[in-house]
Amino acid sequence: MLIDIQSLYKIYNEGKESEVRALDGVSLQIEKGEFVAIVGQSGSGKSTMMNVLGCLDIPTYGDYFLDGTDVTSLTDKQLAHVRNKEIGFIFQGYNLIQELDALENVTLPLIYQGISVFDREDIAMEALAKVGMDDRAHHRPNEMSGGQQQRVAIARAIATKPPIIMADEPTGALDSKTGKHVLEILRDLYRSGTTILLITHDDGIAATAKRVVRLSDGRIIADHPQEVDWE
Amino acid sequence: MNLLQAFKMAFKSIAMKKTRSFLTMLGIIIGVASVVIMVSVLQGQNRKNMEYWEKMGDNKINVSCYSYMDSNDATAQKLYDYCLTLNDLILGITPNVEVGEQVTIRSESKTLKTNDWDSMQDSNGMIDWTKQYSIKLGSEYYGLCNNLTLGGGREVNYLEIEKTLPVCVLGYNVKDILFGYTDPIGESITLNGQPFQVVGWYNPIGMENYGEWDSVVVIPYSFNRALNKNQQITDYVVKGRDAQSTVEAMTKLKVFINGMFPTDVDGNKPFGDGNVSSNTSYVQEMENQNMMQTLVMGAIAGISLLVGGIGIMNIMLVTVTERTREIGIRKAIGAERASIITQFLIEAAVICSIGGLIGIGIGTVGTLIAGKMILQESSMLPSTFITVGAFLFSVVLGVIFGMYPAIKASGLQPVVALRAD
Repeated sequence: MLIDIQSLYKIYNEGKESEVRALDGVSLQIEKGEFVAIVGQSGSGKSTMMNVLGCLDIPTYGDYFLDGTDVTSLTDKQLAHVRNKEIGFIFQGYNLIQELDALENVTLPLIYQGISVFDREDIAMEALAKVGMDDRAHHRPNEMSGGQQQRVAIARAIATKPPIIMADEPTGALDSKTGKHVLEILRDLYRSGTTILLITHDDGIAATAKRVVRLSDGRIIADHPQEVDWE
Repeated sequence: MNLLQAFKMAFKSIAMKKTRSFLTMLGIIIGVASVVIMVSVLQGQNRKNMEYWEKMGDNKINVSCYSYMDSNDATAQKLYDYCLTLNDLILGITPNVEVGEQVTIRSESKTLKTNDWDSMQDSNGMIDWTKQYSIKLGSEYYGLCNNLTLGGGREVNYLEIEKTLPVCVLGYNVKDILFGYTDPIGESITLNGQPFQVVGWYNPIGMENYGEWDSVVVIPYSFNRALNKNQQITDYVVKGRDAQSTVEAMTKLKVFINGMFPTDVDGNKPFGDGNVSSNTSYVQEMENQNMMQTLVMGAIAGISLLVGGIGIMNIMLVTVTERTREIGIRKAIGAERASIITQFLIEAAVICSIGGLIGIGIGTVGTLIAGKMILQESSMLPSTFITVGAFLFSVVLGVIFGMYPAIKASGLQPVVALRAD
């Protein structure tokens, strides 16, 4: 079991009139090597779910075991290591650092991992090559299109070869053609054994995943595998 | 992440955000430079004042004493004689009087005039004090009492004073203009047509801005009667042997003058009065004054540093949001809190140090220029204390405010930092 959450709650303004239950007692298990889409309308709690699963946010209540480790008991420093080594993030807004070029953005997680200066540029170039961006290594984000920026962001996410990739609306800001290309990259990663968590509001995008988890008002209302035809 | 990497990241960030880095530096540059210049000019001014008083005021006692009952001649003689008895405390005494009328000084081919204000001003209306020539009525101790040393020849002597013989000692400027490099000893000059023989000349006293001390012609004080129309000599300069003797001599002179002019039952002094003061006391007063000025200037300097600091603070705080996002991204991809804080610390320290160094550079150049223009000093440099002080203050301030966003944002959950806008 790679990801195991038990009755997880994320509650804002608890006990007040404005209380919001973004996650309202969610339990979910994901095995290693799955391709899961978490689907829901806006406000359904799917982004909160990814933030909690990605250790970007802490749950209010509940247990979260990542590869057997109780994440809720980890220190800030240990969480940084988990984010660095275990999880690669792909955000809707790319979240690249504007001042750094593509290669430097991709190198950043490797720097925090402590990989030597001799190796990390090769690793980063390799990751850029995987997403077809090696010819743009020295372009800054504002010199690239949205699709290109998202590919750089994917390269950054996969550079450390994490076992899990979490993608939050990765195609949300892209046209359908570039969106397809990004999904293609995710499928390639899946084939090579990476666990993929795809968060989306779009059923069409969700149709690319092998398993669909549907969220509404912070609860799971459906969870089923599906047949997909990728060819 | 190691320290080298943190340095690299910090430099990268500075190089990439040129405007922000420059604006931050600007506050420090202005703060440091203005403090360095202001304080240096003030210290230079104080130093100059002190130099004057120390050169002029070294164990110098100013005595004035005037009788209401006679022409003051007898009083002068008594004072003079009394000073001779203080041999163990006093090196010499000279009248402190000059000829009030305009006097034309003439050598064979050259002419100078005393009290000639028109010739003292240059085309810009600036006064050249070296051209303020004067005829001093002195004793054989004139040079000694006024810190002048003989460059050649001798002082006027007692006999010449007694007999009112027409001899003179030239200040360096006068000698230079009238005789150039030729030896003036034995030559003759005329004062308002009356010939005087040159018996000596003084070395330059060498104080910028006080050129008049080198523009004197000293003649025996017995000429007072003829040249100053019977005006009484009431002012004297007495030179003490050392600081201790000066204090002692002052006390004795005060007692002596009070003895000559006793106070009556009504508290009046019907026969005359006098006063004894020394430049040593001026020096002390001056030191106190300097201290006050330094304190005031220090306060002004502090305020300008504070203003510079607020500038730094504003820039840093304005960029908190932008930087918070960046910190969020860095945390999301696995940066530890410590590495983020280290990066920001180095970044702020580097920016502030560069700014501080530029500020010191500008401050030094500014001090040189200000020194030249305001104080006529050829190479005035700021003191180490103020330079280092201003530098450290700005750097510490800059580092505190530079680290503020890092400390604040790196403690947030990454998702909260990412959401910042």
